[in-house]
Amino acid sequence: MCSTTTAADPSPPGPSLLERLGDRRLVVVTGKGGTGKSTVAAALGMAAAKRGKRTLLIETGGAHGLASLLGRRSARYRVLPVGEGLHLLSMNAHDALEDYVVRQLKLRSLYRLVFRNRFMGPFIDTVPGLPDIIQLGKVWDLAQEGSASQLHWDLLILDAPATGHGLTMLGSPASMMDVTRSGPFHANAKRIHRLLTDPAQTAIVLTTLPEPLPVNEALQLYQGLGPAREQVAGCVINQVHQPPFEPLDAWTAAAPALTRCEEPGWLEAVALTDHWVTTTRQQRASSLRLGQALGLPTLALPYRFQRQLEQQDLEALADSFAHQPLETP
Amino acid sequence: MTRVLVCCGAGGVGKTTLSAALAVRLALAGRRVAVLTIDPARRLADSLGLNELGDTPQRIQLATDCQAGEGCLHALVLDVEATFERLVRRSAPTSAAAERVLGNRYYRFAATRLTGTHEYMAMERLQELVESELYDAVVLDTPPTRHALDFLTAPDRLSRFLDRRVLKVLALPRTVQGMERLQQRSGVVVSVLDRLVGSSTIREIAEFVSFLEELTDTIAPRVQAVRDQLHSARFYLVTTPVPAAQIEALEFLQELQQRDLPFHGYLVNRCAPRPSGEQAPPLPSSIRAPEGMEPAVWDRILQAVGASHERFARLARHDDASLAQLRHAAGPDAQIWTIPTLSQDATDLAALEQLGRHLPGLDDDGEPAAAYSTAPPKS
Repeated sequence: MCSTTTAADPSPPGPSLLERLGDRRLVVVTGKGGTGKSTVAAALGMAAAKRGKRTLLIETGGAHGLASLLGRRSARYRVLPVGEGLHLLSMNAHDALEDYVVRQLKLRSLYRLVFRNRFMGPFIDTVPGLPDIIQLGKVWDLAQEGSASQLHWDLLILDAPATGHGLTMLGSPASMMDVTRSGPFHANAKRIHRLLTDPAQTAIVLTTLPEPLPVNEALQLYQGLGPAREQVAGCVINQVHQPPFEPLDAWTAAAPALTRCEEPGWLEAVALTDHWVTTTRQQRASSLRLGQALGLPTLALPYRFQRQLEQQDLEALADSFAHQPLETP
Repeated sequence: MTRVLVCCGAGGVGKTTLSAALAVRLALAGRRVAVLTIDPARRLADSLGLNELGDTPQRIQLATDCQAGEGCLHALVLDVEATFERLVRRSAPTSAAAERVLGNRYYRFAATRLTGTHEYMAMERLQELVESELYDAVVLDTPPTRHALDFLTAPDRLSRFLDRRVLKVLALPRTVQGMERLQQRSGVVVSVLDRLVGSSTIREIAEFVSFLEELTDTIAPRVQAVRDQLHSARFYLVTTPVPAAQIEALEFLQELQQRDLPFHGYLVNRCAPRPSGEQAPPLPSSIRAPEGMEPAVWDRILQAVGASHERFARLARHDDASLAQLRHAAGPDAQIWTIPTLSQDATDLAALEQLGRHLPGLDDDGEPAAAYSTAPPKS
């Protein structure tokens, strides 16, 4: 007779997002606009710093969402301390270009001569894609800072642009290599490309909301990543509403019973609850679809009623990144 | 005359959906309308009842009959490459010149893969639609904010770029001899560029630029026309009451004001349903649990109905604070259209029509109708 072992202990909880990132040096956070990229980047940075990693948060393109989240009014092109073991750099293309050129030429006056004149200014603004590659070049530089035995940063977190532009940015080294074929620009693009596409060094974190359009866009983004898909560590689902009650299915039977009283105030409350039930259902369907289609670990974060995230909200999120097990589909 | 309506704002606030709904609304009001979207997601096509949308305007069959006989709706998605190619063909002095530009590697690169091109071409496509004189109104759905800022400056940057003096510096060295000649004249500039970029790349870019120079005479006035078009357009800022979206909306407003572009109001999407009373209603004595429902479940449901009032009142307070902030930034005359949250995404024409009722229409003078009623924010 065959004896079956009784159900084993519940399988051990999966790793948290931070644990899944392991020793990777660079984390790129991207997703549809408005899905909480900056919040996720900031909280992830706080979680990593708490684990003792010297962490640098980077935002690009003159964005300052991270800066304002972390209570910095206007971040300049400078590495700022924003917490214990946590720093922030808000980048923009012009300063990054000056930085790059000055480093290449070793002479600031030459930069001024060549780039700060009325001819080159428009040229730089107009050559599309130049800002992306230049800013990624700065990220590469930062990743190499320090000596071989003691790198300056344990972890760089890049708050990347939204989906389409994000993909273009990540693809910009490859595009540049294609266009230049040889020369110093080519060599630069190549080493940036190598860093970005190395699964041992670079991970990607996607953000989305549990709604149809953001989920579609997350799936498109994932497809668009091509071979970089294997670098995606997980997808963070933000703003998941608390359900009004469980089980939701009971609403179908309850609603007609509830509307038997036609007092307007009461009917309104029932209608509001109906709205709440519908959004919860829709959110669940979207999350499920996302998990199944991506086949990736996800992390659901609760909707917060605060208009402005405070330090303690960010810390609560950081805690989720450090400890909450990812859900695997 | 074609009226251009531009919907701009942060990503994820529902610009594409509201642009479509606005177009539906205007078409139902009897206007010939085209909506140009840059969003390649299938969903807009789905909600318009089409299998797919392309670069050519497609007639949309509206669910409701238009009030006036003329009203109709067309929709199209920006195709950057196709638009760029038409621009080159139209602007090149000869077809051989056009082929040369289209065959250049840097051109193909610029036309397909680089950021920025999108914005230029959105403007170009818009101009084509206006010039066709087929529409009373064109609704333009723009890329998310940071890109949209680029798009506002695109005509200016392009015209600066097309400044002949700039082109002269960059365009000459199409050959090695040319390079050497230029080196003699402005040796430092070229040798510095050479060290940075590599000479073969410089030559290709220079070639592309010199092709562009041939196009300057025709493109420059066109850039001016696009710029004029923007200045007579109507800009609507799409936002939601969420702080992140608002911050971007306010930045965008500032940008519009600095550029002296006509701001016509906010479309505030996804406002929470608003409880009318101050207090949660008392539990009526007349209701009973449906047969077969567990008492514990019924209790939880009754609790949820009670809690819903407080929950939505809280959301409404957030919304009011947001609206107050928007009004404060744009001055007391700013128009605000509030669009309630739909419990489902707008996935068909009927839903777009319903959304459209909350959006600005045109009155007989072609001016926007009065703002949809907005509860005055309590400070």
